[in-house]
Amino acid sequence: MELSLVIFTVLSQISIGLAVMLAVRQWAVSEGTAPSSFRFEWIVIGVALAIALAASLFHLGHPFGSPRAVLHLGSSWLSREIVVMQIFGILVVVALVALWKGSANSWTLVKITALVGLVGLAVSGMVYAPPSFPALNNGVPIIFYGLTAFILGSAFSSYFAGEDKQPLLTQILTISLIVGLVINLILPSIWLSGGRVMQMTGAAYFGSALFWLRLVVEFGLGLAVLGVFRKIPIWLPVLLLAGEIVGRIMFFTHVVHSAVNIGNLY
Amino acid sequence: MPERNYDMVKKALNCPVTRRQVLKSLVAAGVLVAVPGGLMRAATSSDKINYDEIFYEGPYETFRNACPRNCYDTCSIVTYVKDGAVQFVEGAPESTFTDGGLCVKGNSYWNTTYSPDRVKYPMLQESRGSGNWKRISWDEALDRIAKKILEIKDKDGSLLGLALSKYSGNFGITNYGVEGMMSSLGYTTRFVGTPCWPAGIDAQNYDMGNMWCNDPEDFAKSKYIILWGVNPAWCSVHSMKYLFDAQDKGAKVLAIDPVFTQTSAKADEYWQVKTGEDGALALGMARHLLDKNMVDREFVNTHSVGFNEFEEYLKNEITVEWAAEKSGIPAAVIASTAEEFATAKPATIWIGYGLQRHVNGGVTVRSIDALVAMTGNVGKEGGGARYGHLQTWGFNYHALVQKQPKGSKGFSGTTGPKGEFAPELEETKFSDRTLNINKTARGLLEADNPPIRMLWVSCKNPVSQDFDLNLMKKAFKKPEMVVVVEKFFTQTAELADILLPVTTNLEEWTVNASYWHYWLGLNEQAVKPLYESKSNIEIAAALSKKMNELSPGSCTFPTEIDTKEWMIKEFNKGIYDLFGLKSWEDLKKGPHKAKLTSTAAWHDHKFATPSGKYEFLSELAAKHGHNALPKYKANRKPYAPLRLLTPHSKFNIHSQFQNLDWMHDFNPEPYVYVHPKTAADKGIAEGDRVLVFSKVGEVKVKAKLTDNVPRDALLMYEAWYNKNNFNVQNVVDDESSDMGKYKTGAPGVAIHDQFADVKKA
Amino acid sequence: MKKQIAFFVDTRRCIGCFTCAMACKNQYHQPSGVKWRDVHPMSEEIYPHRECAHLTLACNHCEKPTCLEVCPVVAYYKRDEDGVVVHEQEKCIGCGNCIRSCPYGAPKYNPALKKAEKCSFCWQRLDADREPACVQACPTRALQMVDLSNFDEPDTVQYIAGFPRFTKLNPSIRFRPPRQPLEIRRK
Repeated sequence: MELSLVIFTVLSQISIGLAVMLAVRQWAVSEGTAPSSFRFEWIVIGVALAIALAASLFHLGHPFGSPRAVLHLGSSWLSREIVVMQIFGILVVVALVALWKGSANSWTLVKITALVGLVGLAVSGMVYAPPSFPALNNGVPIIFYGLTAFILGSAFSSYFAGEDKQPLLTQILTISLIVGLVINLILPSIWLSGGRVMQMTGAAYFGSALFWLRLVVEFGLGLAVLGVFRKIPIWLPVLLLAGEIVGRIMFFTHVVHSAVNIGNLY
Repeated sequence: MPERNYDMVKKALNCPVTRRQVLKSLVAAGVLVAVPGGLMRAATSSDKINYDEIFYEGPYETFRNACPRNCYDTCSIVTYVKDGAVQFVEGAPESTFTDGGLCVKGNSYWNTTYSPDRVKYPMLQESRGSGNWKRISWDEALDRIAKKILEIKDKDGSLLGLALSKYSGNFGITNYGVEGMMSSLGYTTRFVGTPCWPAGIDAQNYDMGNMWCNDPEDFAKSKYIILWGVNPAWCSVHSMKYLFDAQDKGAKVLAIDPVFTQTSAKADEYWQVKTGEDGALALGMARHLLDKNMVDREFVNTHSVGFNEFEEYLKNEITVEWAAEKSGIPAAVIASTAEEFATAKPATIWIGYGLQRHVNGGVTVRSIDALVAMTGNVGKEGGGARYGHLQTWGFNYHALVQKQPKGSKGFSGTTGPKGEFAPELEETKFSDRTLNINKTARGLLEADNPPIRMLWVSCKNPVSQDFDLNLMKKAFKKPEMVVVVEKFFTQTAELADILLPVTTNLEEWTVNASYWHYWLGLNEQAVKPLYESKSNIEIAAALSKKMNELSPGSCTFPTEIDTKEWMIKEFNKGIYDLFGLKSWEDLKKGPHKAKLTSTAAWHDHKFATPSGKYEFLSELAAKHGHNALPKYKANRKPYAPLRLLTPHSKFNIHSQFQNLDWMHDFNPEPYVYVHPKTAADKGIAEGDRVLVFSKVGEVKVKAKLTDNVPRDALLMYEAWYNKNNFNVQNVVDDESSDMGKYKTGAPGVAIHDQFADVKKA
Repeated sequence: MKKQIAFFVDTRRCIGCFTCAMACKNQYHQPSGVKWRDVHPMSEEIYPHRECAHLTLACNHCEKPTCLEVCPVVAYYKRDEDGVVVHEQEKCIGCGNCIRSCPYGAPKYNPALKKAEKCSFCWQRLDADREPACVQACPTRALQMVDLSNFDEPDTVQYIAGFPRFTKLNPSIRFRPPRQPLEIRRK
């Protein structure tokens, strides 16, 4: 169950992150046609999203029922996430067509798509913040998802951006990694001073070798490399991806559910 | 039936005609059988389970069944059947004792019946214990068995080389047909006695002339209840409501147990008595009552003999301080409780079976009986020394009573084998040879002239449940043929040559009584026997047919039987009168309760002892080699640092139920319970795998730390966990208890007088 | 207050016998590992005698059920007439969201059906004028069905120690805390 959610969230966040970074790179441009060089990158965004959505279907016991999953917009964040991601997906396709045709509103479409992507991050985060996970029953999942999008978005964006845009991406990645490092260190320690279930989560994180390994490799090494080279080496995004996947796996396996503590003091 | 989708349900819910009304009208129209739960759709048997629909749609056929296990509660069951398959079971609502609900075990009967692990066909194990099983036909199985029996008869001139190991796996009365089958073959060897409660039975017989307890539904009339060495919260869950009712009415409940049990938690007061020193405690209380002149002289003078001698013994040899030292209960507490007990009118003591599984078990029960008697509580509603009864077991035992073939030779003895449930048989010239059921391993190994050549096992699992497992495994190598009749591939089945599939209680006709409450339950054949299983009497008939084919006249058991008729044949006028029945068919409407003139046993104080009175001093006991008075007898001397207790778990009846998938969901693995200080001394942490070991053997198991267990003891619950070779009998030997031979043919076992040590594995 | 039926768990009378949990299995035959009702021992931090006090829990049929809220295919509904929260298996797509989101762990994943499922308060039995299977089976009447709109048993609480407090959900359940005996222990 969990692996498909790991793939879905990481890949969809890469897709959103790339779209956002692409928009950010060209943010000075106000209207008009987006460069044709965007086309390939946009295909990558589409493919990443497609794989992500396919993975999310694998997660279902009955994938053929998935069209009905948009029925509960009134109260279900999951329904809302699906709707927003569908809109994002449609916009990705529409924007791709516009890019291919060299249409005049391709750039506008790209910006709208990026915005919808950001909304998607927030909605997606809310899905994974139910009351059953005290450590996550807050804005933390949105922050985690935002970090994934910005870290991997900016990192992989470097494959497509021109030389003139690299410093900007390097800057965004550096700041994202610093913020990510701080958040990943602070959160478990805050959890350790919460109720029993939050404490168990904090202890699970701090007690995990994988947690520390990831911090050292993704954030420590990442920041060191960026500090030394002042640009994003071609292998760095792959390393960061590995780190993010580890982080996401921990998100799904190390956060403690309130029901496991029934019978004990909370 | 409409699809249960959201809109239809919403519509139905908002509909002015309720589902109930619709149902009622359908019933009135005769469309639905008037069965409760008419809107219930049934699931099918395990092979065809349609999980896609959570059920509930009737109509169902309902059948009356009874739980035939060795349990106080002997529940009356209602079985819901559809399309020839059991759907679910419930407790019979007509019985105030069962009160509509079973227990965790009874509720797993669907799982038992349809378990994929069931023995489905006769099986042959090529080389005992190898695990190489081959399916064979009934004909081949019976052919092999019959030929072996005839071979033994030929070799020895008798069938004393054929032995029966049977006890309480199935108390449906027709299952005594197994003993009947043995008799119908000739004079055989029987393992007699009972591992369960013999010491206490003898004790009650010495004191009062019979084992006879009050109706447990009269606990609410009691003002003071001592639960002594009994854990009804686990072993008689249906009795708990009466104890709670008594408490609600202001009665005090005192639990005396070396272990802090679930029952202890529900009592008003708990005493952690030193294991095996309950006799000292009772005598101490008795002494104090003497000192305070709180003896019921009227009862003692009119309805008892030997109290003067008892009084003298107490005055000379027992003090409250001594009792406090022996039992670990402070003298002041002993004194005040004795006074409360004597003052409460009426007061009662529930004497547990675990309490008498000691070398001094019988005399301990006698001393507790004495306490109840001297306070005038015997024969009172809400009073009494409660242990058990057999008042409702007066069946014909038609299945049991079979004649040996003409010319059969056997043991030159007098009376035949005894059993506490079956009636005494007439004296004959020859008889069966009897061995002590509690020393089965020794019996198998040491019997000679002739040796045990063939063993028939039914309604028992000796390899799992009998004592000294290492010796038992050796013993099972000795017989030339081992036939096991079983539902599952138990540890005994693993050492069989031929395994015969037997029916569950839902697949046979029989009738059931209880040794605790006073209800009678019919057991109808709710579904046809599954696979190729046969009930015990069907097996007997089939064997007889084969025997007579090979050697006419070699077996007198009828070769064609109607099992329903055989159930009916168990009934007699005595049963009908006792239960106010016109016919057995009255039981189809539900279980019936005995018509009791009083809820009290011995209400007329006409005891069945030689003197006709309560015997504080029993000459019969002296004749049998015991003390005439309930004089204190010391514990068994420890042979290892810690006492080992192996009592019963709530999740199983001995080796039944724990092996089921469903039970595994709630109780996945066994543990040894260790006091935290003992564990700390040995460097054992919670969850560690440890070795429990003694001169008898060893058990590897996980540890749980708790001070429910006394510092000087270890505790493991006896059970058979399928696919796990955990077996407490590795560290339990067959030391005898003091009493039991008088009424049951053999002394009991000191199951809780075992010792062991523990270390990290 | 509207009728809201609820489980009343009298831990004073509960003997932890697991009859209720098995009665549910007996009724619905869930596959191995799937338990709609389970019996949880109260830890020694709460009740000092190990495994001698228990909480029997299934679904709490909350006033504002998380499962219903988060289900994307509206496979849950709350009955008007008694507040039972029903899961409609036919609609379920096995997304696992309710299983993840319910803080009491009431919905369970059925690997044979690849769907979620949970205690339904035996609503079909209720509609046929019977008690839920677990309530009927309880030998000590420790597990009862009550109507919160007129429930006024003394000495009862909504959140007993060992049962997490989620006031936004407002679980429909009440408990009576357990008692302890006076103990005489050997030195």
